Amino acid sequence: MTRTLVASLLGVALLGGCSATIPTDPEGTLDRVTGGTLRVGVSPNPPWTDLPEGTGAEPEGIEPDLVRDFAETIDADVEWTAGGEEDLMGRLEDRELDLVVGGLTARSPWSSHVALTYRYLETVAADGQKELRVMAAPMGENAFLVELERFLLTTEVRP
Amino acid sequence: MTARFGHTELPDEQERALRRAVRLAWLTIAFLVTAVTGVYLVMGSSQAMKAAWMEDMLSFIPPISFLVAVRVTRRRPSARHPYGYHRAVAVGHLVAATALVAMGAFMVWDSGSGLVKAEHPPVGLMEVAGQPVWSGWLMIGVMAYTAVPPVLLGRAKMPLAEKLHDRVLYADADMNKADWMTAVGGIAGVVGIGLGLWWADAVAALFISGSILRDGVRNMRVAVSAIMDARAETYDGEGPHPLVRRIDAALGALPWVDKARSRVRDEGHVFHVEAFVVPVDGAPDLTELSRARELLCDLDWKVQDAVVVPVEELPEEFLPGLREETAGHDAS
Repeated sequence: MTRTLVASLLGVALLGGCSATIPTDPEGTLDRVTGGTLRVGVSPNPPWTDLPEGTGAEPEGIEPDLVRDFAETIDADVEWTAGGEEDLMGRLEDRELDLVVGGLTARSPWSSHVALTYRYLETVAADGQKELRVMAAPMGENAFLVELERFLLTTEVRP
Repeated sequence: MTARFGHTELPDEQERALRRAVRLAWLTIAFLVTAVTGVYLVMGSSQAMKAAWMEDMLSFIPPISFLVAVRVTRRRPSARHPYGYHRAVAVGHLVAATALVAMGAFMVWDSGSGLVKAEHPPVGLMEVAGQPVWSGWLMIGVMAYTAVPPVLLGRAKMPLAEKLHDRVLYADADMNKADWMTAVGGIAGVVGIGLGLWWADAVAALFISGSILRDGVRNMRVAVSAIMDARAETYDGEGPHPLVRRIDAALGALPWVDKARSRVRDEGHVFHVEAFVVPVDGAPDLTELSRARELLCDLDWKVQDAVVVPVEELPEEFLPGLREETAGHDAS
């Protein structure tokens, strides 16, 4: 019985493999944002992210710049949502956002709710600890995640 | 040094088998070290990979218990342990089985809840020698590596388990032989993630966990039954050990013996025999009795301890098998 299960799992996998690219998004995030709108949550955490006062002011900092460059590579417009980290992570989990930035590190406690990207930068904290700077993407949207990580890996970032 | 179990010196064939089994156990441990390291480095957030990793971790227990049990059973019987230390095998077996049951149950729950909560595993890039690679490919590679060696190790251990009459070694070999299914399950889960089938990962994890749990339950049943002084059975627990009938037949063939039946306990590697014999006429003399005992010990290296008890008639209360002559070890 177990062998049949494995065989059928592999069968499903191989059948699907003929038509799809690997990895694929279960909910098609990359397809949707490419040439469309990238919904990005920003929580202020200078110098990584900053929200200037005034209406219509765009977020500033290292990460918003990275996000704008990434959006350009996939021909997407960026729609910014400002908020606290917890609120934004909740919205990312509910798929109301496609990406959250806010000076996150790989040690973020959100890692079981959202997909943390590969580090785009290694920094050293005040206490001498290494910190891996990451962004947060929706769980399991792996084509989108890989596209973003590929961009981050090929981009030189200076703190 | 001559290999032995307690005060039983092993025949050449068993001694060779034991040496080889010990070597294979070390080889298994060496392989597992590479496997757990490799899987750990690439597992990321895949449930299936996590399950496969846990299974590799648990796979350390049987070869280690085997090595420990072999060491312990070598000790000679002492005043405190007149039966020797053979039960070390049963203890090792029970410990291994308990670990499997506990971890299997936890993992079934863990991956089952992942499925229920519809957790979508994120699998992104990894940098290998400066090149970005989708971690899924690395996971598949490592899983493929872990598929083959256990099967070969299992096949090599199986005949040794029979020669040595070692249940722990048998359980280990049996699990090794089935280990490729874990690897294939893990690969299927990762390929599933790659194709956007988030559930494939949890299903694969569930499948791997289920097989761990099943191994555990099966082994636990055998181990507990051994501790509960079950009759001597073959190394795979498939049926009564043929040696039991040979013992009865050998005693029955003695000229002074009318009827003979024995009860045989599997102490681990070796058997302890209590044989009841009904003499043809009157009590046998001491020479006859001690010859009968020697006869049993010469039958097979596994007969370590034999007690021959002359009786007026076969005691049914000690030989429950008598009542059901059609079943049990002394049947047909």
